[in-house]
Amino acid sequence: MKKFRRDASGRLTARFEAREAELLRRLARDTTQILTASRGPIIEHEDPALKRLLPDAYPDDPEASAEFRRFTADGLAERKVRNSKSLIDGLGENAGVRVSVVLDDQAAQAWLRTLTDIRLILAARLGIERDGDVGFRGTADSFRRSIEYQWVGYVQESLIRALNAQPKQ
Amino acid sequence: MNALSTPETIESLDIHEITDPLTPWNTIVWNDPVNLMSYVTYVFQSYFGFTEGEAERRMLLVHNEGRAVVATGSREEMERHAEAMHDFGLWATVSKANE
Repeated sequence: MKKFRRDASGRLTARFEAREAELLRRLARDTTQILTASRGPIIEHEDPALKRLLPDAYPDDPEASAEFRRFTADGLAERKVRNSKSLIDGLGENAGVRVSVVLDDQAAQAWLRTLTDIRLILAARLGIERDGDVGFRGTADSFRRSIEYQWVGYVQESLIRALNAQPKQ
Repeated sequence: MNALSTPETIESLDIHEITDPLTPWNTIVWNDPVNLMSYVTYVFQSYFGFTEGEAERRMLLVHNEGRAVVATGSREEMERHAEAMHDFGLWATVSKANE
């Protein structure tokens, strides 16, 4: 990956190797799938990943929490799905090729949020619950996931730095 | 006759169902092991309009103390902030300011 930077027009650019782009597409599709499965009357979720994406606003008051969920969860899930689609759009559908992405501010905001959602899902799958947890690494699957988790963090950090940087004159 | 000696009118109000308009509410952001410190600072700065120093101070409160109050006001407004934080993937809750 070539890190994010702001170009002269203020847009954010980065370059991903073919397998990196494919990984991001897959993780974004997973996010969409998890959130789409949540549709219908959302009362409480068994899936810890979904629970973290649509968290309780009143942990000590189940009634107020359910009420908040009733009014916000569908919209929240919809916006998150839109964000993950924006990431896939930004990368394009061409598998097997290196991808240069160019994001305007709106797309950058969508990427920032969906990269967070991806990391929240991976962390939930890895059992990362408190500071310092490294998560399960005993199996090939969990080891791979843990590498992906760290790499997506790296991508996000790079995007944040570019967003904080002033446009080049 | 003292008006205070006729409490009947009060009985029709279920005090658990009403919100004291004088008691403000807080939006609280909680620590989690996933979100990057730079990201939390960025969210506080860009969404709440805090200066970089103030955003960093509240981010460190979240990181070190486990939570930080990020806004205070009406319940409706605090719920809107909590929803916005959930959009960003931060865990935010709403509670009465004096709790």
